[in-house]
Amino acid sequence: MKDLLKKLVEAFGPAGNEGPIREIIRTEVEGIVDEVKVDALGNLIAVRRGQGPRIMIAAHMDEIGVIVTHIDEKGFVRFSNIGGISPFMLIGQRVVFANGTLGTFGMEKLDDMKDLKLSKMFIDIGAKDEASAREKVAVGDIGAFCREAHFQGDRVIAKSLDNRAGCAVLVKALKELAGREIPNQVYAVFTVQEELGLRGARTAAYAVNPDIGFAVDVTGTGDTPEAPTMAVKLGEGPTIKVKDSVVLTHPRVRQFMAEVAKKKGIPYQFEILERGGTDTGPIHLTREGVPSGAISVPTRYIHTPSEMADMNDIENAAKLFVAILEEQLDAAIL
Amino acid sequence: MATIGLAEFLSSIISEPGASGHEDKVAAVAKKKMSGLFDEARTDALGNLIMLKRGIGRAPHPRVMLAAHMDEIGLMVTKIEDQGCLRVTQIGGIDRRILPGLEVTVYGRRKLPGVVGAKPPHVQDPGEREKSVKWEDLYVDAGLTGDEARELVQVGDIITFAQTPIRLQGKFMAGKTMDDRAGVGVMFECLRTLRDMRHHADVYCVATVQEEVGVRGATTSTYGIVPDVGIAIDVGFGDQSSVPEYQSISMDKGPGISIGPAVHPVIFERLKTIASELEIPVQTDPSPYPGGTDAFAIQIARGGIPTGLVSIPLRYMHTAVETVCLADIERAGRLLAEFIVRLDKKYVEGLKCF
Repeated sequence: MKDLLKKLVEAFGPAGNEGPIREIIRTEVEGIVDEVKVDALGNLIAVRRGQGPRIMIAAHMDEIGVIVTHIDEKGFVRFSNIGGISPFMLIGQRVVFANGTLGTFGMEKLDDMKDLKLSKMFIDIGAKDEASAREKVAVGDIGAFCREAHFQGDRVIAKSLDNRAGCAVLVKALKELAGREIPNQVYAVFTVQEELGLRGARTAAYAVNPDIGFAVDVTGTGDTPEAPTMAVKLGEGPTIKVKDSVVLTHPRVRQFMAEVAKKKGIPYQFEILERGGTDTGPIHLTREGVPSGAISVPTRYIHTPSEMADMNDIENAAKLFVAILEEQLDAAIL
Repeated sequence: MATIGLAEFLSSIISEPGASGHEDKVAAVAKKKMSGLFDEARTDALGNLIMLKRGIGRAPHPRVMLAAHMDEIGLMVTKIEDQGCLRVTQIGGIDRRILPGLEVTVYGRRKLPGVVGAKPPHVQDPGEREKSVKWEDLYVDAGLTGDEARELVQVGDIITFAQTPIRLQGKFMAGKTMDDRAGVGVMFECLRTLRDMRHHADVYCVATVQEEVGVRGATTSTYGIVPDVGIAIDVGFGDQSSVPEYQSISMDKGPGISIGPAVHPVIFERLKTIASELEIPVQTDPSPYPGGTDAFAIQIARGGIPTGLVSIPLRYMHTAVETVCLADIERAGRLLAEFIVRLDKKYVEGLKCF
């Protein structure tokens, strides 16, 4: 799991540029599912055929990043955000472009740090002038954070655990289930552009037309000093989502998920995420509506280059999906 | 066969808990109390209650969908503190100022009465009284110890206002969730009126779910029904002191008929014309913004649905004492029934020609 996670979090894949992630996952799942396909937006869909209801499980592949908007005459690069980025966490960070060009973030002189905005910042790639900058980057190029994954005890600190942790969970669950008969058809969808408004899951769910849907993503915690009120802690088990900004999970689905976890002795927590949403949102509103749930990996410092999660939670999230998919889901839920 | 009156019907449905995403109890009671008024009913994957009253005559029948949301704003337990108090968040848009001192019901392992606590004025810091309390400082007290709370309640449990229905003077009635059970009352009145009328159109009355969190139920139910005409029934700001006249409609002067970007102008015109012919009082209700009600979700479903919006004037929106006038609900029900009996192929096709 550590090797897979390291490979996934260190790869380059801001929203709309998920190619490298897709190729890693394709290599992992080819041969253990019946079909692997990529749709028009770039969602990777791994299909396990068979009997039973159609179950869609989505994990988004994309990460937050930046996009080049302007290159000035001195070779400094202005940028905008891809997904939710706070200017305050950019200071001192490094950004890498698809061609390997590295940059760091600088900012204009400010009288008050409170005035810091992305528009007051720039990327410095060390170019001596505009022409040499343009040899390395172009307007429209996309950059990602540049960080190695670090494992320390049970914990991992890395960029883009949101949501490569979820991708790793889903790959692991598919591997566990390989060669086993289960009473469900599984559409494991590695989605694109979640960070820009849950876009990939919307079109994939329309095409898959599932009977029941799930997503796996990260969620916040309430276990750091003076944290917001949230009854989720690192290391106490994956969460079963109750509510976020885009979904109230189906009561019967989440109750069933909790029953399965209890039966298998897998620790779990209930999650209410006050701000933010995940792929379950568009999935449950697809066509005539889809009863849906979600599992999340508790993660601190989400949307920074140093997100932190507990490996046990990630392992247990995979175990919970395996246990759920072994159940007759149409009889249990529909 | 439904033999009860409007007041009794409303009392029974507003007494049920139905926070967004948890509307099953309301759906069950509404279906039971309206039995005999429709030909068939089903509940879809998200919990929308879809009641069909078939039209007569040769197929194909025009399909008209009425939608009123049955969900309500409420609270959800986010954390159980060691002392037994319950930390909460909102489901839908709740004005925190109305919460302290309110009686609520906690739907834990069993139904528990609770109160929303507040800091006594005597021990508040200077100026504290001038500000509304923050979500972090709000909690529900059900009189439980920490152990009891953990035994009986879990994160994600629903809490609703405990307010029982109140009959005010005249035809005025107050209670929780008149937004938008009053709209369900309009469908009840409409179906009662249609019982004695002949209509060609198939009528789908949908009590929708999850309107308060983003018109979600109307999105999926409209996709499934594919109506030729959709009419959302919701509540509008009734006249009350402190709400400007230009933002409100008058109580007991008939339902508001919306005109605006979410509304098909020909449906607006037809509703106004029928009201005028039959001397049913109505009020023109300009709705400059498209979002906020099921009408928006219906309008943009599939390839686009010609949509209307009828609003019941309501005072004190999103409080536990939402107040309506029963006469406005009766008028809206009758108006929609008269609209439905006049629906034919020619009119429906005309809606597609601008």
